[in-house]
Amino acid sequence: MTKLLRIEFKKILTYKIFWILVGLYFIFLSAGILMAEFMINNMVDNMNRHLPIPVPHVAIYFFPWVWQNIAFFATIRYVLIFPAIVIIILVTNEYTFKTIRQNMINGMSKAEFLNSKLLLILLISVIMTIFVAIATLILGFSNTADVNLAMVLEKSSFIFGFFVTILTFQVFALFFAFLMRNTGLSIAIFTLYVFIIEPILYYFLKSPIVFENNISTYLPVNSVLRVTEYPSIQVLKQVMGLNLQNTVSFWACCIPLGYAAVMIGIVYWVISKRDL
Amino acid sequence: METILSVNNISKRYGKIQAVDDLSLEVKKGQVFGILGPNGSGKTTTLSIILELIKSNKGSFQWFGELPSKESRKRIGSVIESPNFYPYLSPVNNLKIVAEIKDFGYDDIDRVLNLTGLYERRNSRFKTFSFGMKQRLAVASALLGNPDVMILDEPTNGLDPQGIAHIRELILLIASQGTTIIIASHLLDEVQKICTHVAVLDRGRKLFDGKVSEVLAVSDSFELSALNIELLKQTVALHPAFVSLIPIGEKILVYFKEDIQPAELNQFFFQKDVILSHLSERKRSLEQHFLELLDDNK
Repeated sequence: MTKLLRIEFKKILTYKIFWILVGLYFIFLSAGILMAEFMINNMVDNMNRHLPIPVPHVAIYFFPWVWQNIAFFATIRYVLIFPAIVIIILVTNEYTFKTIRQNMINGMSKAEFLNSKLLLILLISVIMTIFVAIATLILGFSNTADVNLAMVLEKSSFIFGFFVTILTFQVFALFFAFLMRNTGLSIAIFTLYVFIIEPILYYFLKSPIVFENNISTYLPVNSVLRVTEYPSIQVLKQVMGLNLQNTVSFWACCIPLGYAAVMIGIVYWVISKRDL
Repeated sequence: METILSVNNISKRYGKIQAVDDLSLEVKKGQVFGILGPNGSGKTTTLSIILELIKSNKGSFQWFGELPSKESRKRIGSVIESPNFYPYLSPVNNLKIVAEIKDFGYDDIDRVLNLTGLYERRNSRFKTFSFGMKQRLAVASALLGNPDVMILDEPTNGLDPQGIAHIRELILLIASQGTTIIIASHLLDEVQKICTHVAVLDRGRKLFDGKVSEVLAVSDSFELSALNIELLKQTVALHPAFVSLIPIGEKILVYFKEDIQPAELNQFFFQKDVILSHLSERKRSLEQHFLELLDDNK
């Protein structure tokens, strides 16, 4: 296992595009986390212009809700797409450069090749989870007046939700990359699916014109985003009448993890059948 | 002698094209085994099958007397078609990946870079290399960790004369150290200079195999004529080195297994009471011989 990770490290260590994308990801992620409160209050100000009783400004960086809020803002589509594109590039590069062939010739098995990419996804997910957890703790401690341990830990299950989200989303990207093998095509189709095709499907299935159902919540990308569904903001609750989640539910994690397992199975089957 | 590779009746079909047709080969330890054939004769397909890059439709093969596995591939160094490396990595880092996959340490990397004359450029990125250097890096990668077998697919393709000479010298050096080498080529001259054994392929089928000295022996042919042409035909068939004859008008064209001196031949017929009215030696080029080999089997 460490051997496969060592090989992956060698492949990315001096790969400029990888580090540029990672850098951009950290910038977008940090900006997303740090600007969330400012953006929401901007929205609140806009709303207040039309409301007789103004809504007070929100604060989102205090314990215990900071876990939920940051897990939400760190997993919006626009931020999640970065690690997904990184994975697509790393997988399809191996086909473009024919290095997957060379890896096989040199004595790697197809299963090992897939495992090395999955291990990389796991490692990226762990690192990002640690990063987001540290960011959450720093923001939480500097914005909460009377901190006690129970408060700090109360909503910490959301960091696990973040981990499941970033892990499964990258597996989806890996699935597209292995099936299409071409960098441009996989990025285009994956982004189209995430931003356009699935949202259209979602609203189509959701509208009661079709029939009463909750199928839309089982769409792959939607099921991933549903793990940390909403930020915990009272205004949203009151104004929009949303029913906020209190915790990361086991079932909500099972759906995207199930999808990921099926996708890994399909990729394994396809690459073991396919000639190189 | 220990068998390194045995291929048993493998076939591979791409749609209508039969790329490999019921091919069997046996490569023994220490041989420099050439797979010779024109473009499209199934050489690369055969090598891709024995390296498990593609699956054959029929047949099987064994490496080192065992079923093929990733462990057997670790004992094989290969150069197949174009050199495939990570373009943004230096040769050293590319070779480190190869070493990791094959479970070797990094200590052999400097040696193979020196052998292939790439040591000076060891830290430049692969994509800055010329084609000749890329090909040499592919050879360096195949040499890593002194493999038991080397597989080379058209190793001198696209190289300049200097590059060709360098690669050939290197192959001969490695062969002299006892490494088994399997080399695919469409160049008869190359196979004859490097190989000890050869299999000739055409449209996926094996035409011949055996020692290079026997299969590719460039025996000369003779044009002969005598008053009694029937007696001449019967008599020439008795010659110990006789292979075949082709009648051409009043003359016959006769092939022999080995080099025969005209005087010797004349004496042979004289002793058999056949008086030749015509005797001329025909020299053939290697290429002509190769084309004849292919033609005879169509």
